Amino acid sequence: MSGLHDLQAYEVVEGIKQGLFSAEEYFSSVIKTLEHVESRLHSFITLDTDKALSCAKVIDGKLKANEDIGQLGGVVVGIKDNISTKGIRTTCASKILESYVPSYDATVIQRLKQNGAIILGKLNLDEFGMGSTTEYSSYYPTHNPWNLDYVPGGSSGGSGAAVAAGECTVSLGSDTGGSIRCPASFCSVVGLKPTYGRVSRYGLISYANSLEQIGPICRSVKDVVMIMNIISGKDNKDDTSMSSSPITINNKLEKFEIAIIKDLIDGSDDEVKRTIYSASEKFSDIGCMLDEISIKHLNYALPSYYTLASAEASSNLARYDNIRYGFNLPIEEYKWDTYFSDVRKNFGEEVKRRILIGSYVLSSGYYSKYYLKARGLRSLLKLELLKLFKKYDLLIGPTMPILPFKFGEKIDDPIKMYLVDINTVIANLAGIPAISLPVGFSNGLPIGLQIMAAPFEEQKLIDVSYALEQAINIQRRPKLE
Amino acid sequence: MISKDEIEYLAKISKISLTEDEAKKFPEQLDKTIEYIDILDELASDHSIILDLQEIKFDELRDDVVRMSGALPITRNLTEEGFLKGPKMK
Repeated sequence: MSGLHDLQAYEVVEGIKQGLFSAEEYFSSVIKTLEHVESRLHSFITLDTDKALSCAKVIDGKLKANEDIGQLGGVVVGIKDNISTKGIRTTCASKILESYVPSYDATVIQRLKQNGAIILGKLNLDEFGMGSTTEYSSYYPTHNPWNLDYVPGGSSGGSGAAVAAGECTVSLGSDTGGSIRCPASFCSVVGLKPTYGRVSRYGLISYANSLEQIGPICRSVKDVVMIMNIISGKDNKDDTSMSSSPITINNKLEKFEIAIIKDLIDGSDDEVKRTIYSASEKFSDIGCMLDEISIKHLNYALPSYYTLASAEASSNLARYDNIRYGFNLPIEEYKWDTYFSDVRKNFGEEVKRRILIGSYVLSSGYYSKYYLKARGLRSLLKLELLKLFKKYDLLIGPTMPILPFKFGEKIDDPIKMYLVDINTVIANLAGIPAISLPVGFSNGLPIGLQIMAAPFEEQKLIDVSYALEQAINIQRRPKLE
Repeated sequence: MISKDEIEYLAKISKISLTEDEAKKFPEQLDKTIEYIDILDELASDHSIILDLQEIKFDELRDDVVRMSGALPITRNLTEEGFLKGPKMK
């Protein structure tokens, strides 16, 4: 049977349950695609194909024995390599964790497995999630399946590329400042950063834990709903997690009040601007009211984000001391300082830059000048957005201000690289949910629309995204012959 | 302007060593980054605007709870008595 790798997750589960194909047949179709494209894409760091195949066989066995196969029974899932998977190497795309095999599953992994999902392997990222292209992976960059000369976005670039190319049906990414939405936009797939606290972070290897959330990257809004309802919820192992109502697909759309963030449009490339305006015209077609607004504190958002994220990174990454696990070094032969700095020289350039900036903004004299100011801005921005959400249901704009770009274009200039995150960091600073939805192409390169809502209003994001997805029938699969 | 000495000091307190190449290009790159975040200084410095900054008194903290960890036992860098061994301080 061919083309099974093209199916959405909900179609896979229905097909297996109805006996249209077996979990093993679908799995083989996914693996065949992977074998065909992976040498060009480099989406994965580690594959666990044998174990995954045996899981597919278990699903088929359960079905034969009339047992429940779970809501995700048989669906092949890829996991960003900064999420702990018991028994599967978890590197964070860093040399420092090149041989680290976790002894426990992250809560999201436990929940996926309990629902019958098959974990195929671990997906590439910028080291520890720090970057927007996967060029900062210590292993290799991932290529954009729509044009192999271009970056797939980041940091969850492997998660975006693999789903777009059919190497897995859905994936999990993590989003600290746009790391789910950026690759979703660049690879023409749907990516959701949930409200802070909706999904447990237990087992997500920390980079900046006051900002980050795990979320799904899928080929349809319907699949995003399916994955979110499985991974969301209160977890005793993460005190910041909260319970929330399940989300659903509604065929009837309420008349939402939507506002375009003008500043984000003005700061975008012309091709992006045109596509976003033409997509937003569809909102009136689907019965929504459209207005235009400005965000007063927007100019301070990105500096504030990089201050806070770097400060948290310098603290979180202090744990890599090589004592309990890591490289085999004869500890007796080292002195205190040289042991740690010798081990930690294995961090990549971008990670080192952020650790140094983090140490700088936290040091005495600079703490109140940068760190506290950044915390203050975060509060002001959040208050401003919450006020806007009293008037509007949703705020929209381009996910990325630019089209996907070529490898090497921004790698030597950190500020140029940071600037591409300008539209996405807002949601992380305010802790609000945001989705990136594919809405068009320019010269064969994808463009995504970002939609943001008030905290825990994911249902509104889903309602409008689903309606828009139906209204804009977009090409879903890159040609990788 | 962030000096080479300041970067060396930051690297020391962050326990990382820089390659020759990094030591050469970091001063300019970090300088640009700090210049970029300098805009934050324009903001009012009143701490009361920080929403989630709350002082918690020691006696308001919850009691310690001992729970079993799911982590595997440590198997390396242990002394015969079972203590964790680190590199020599001096």
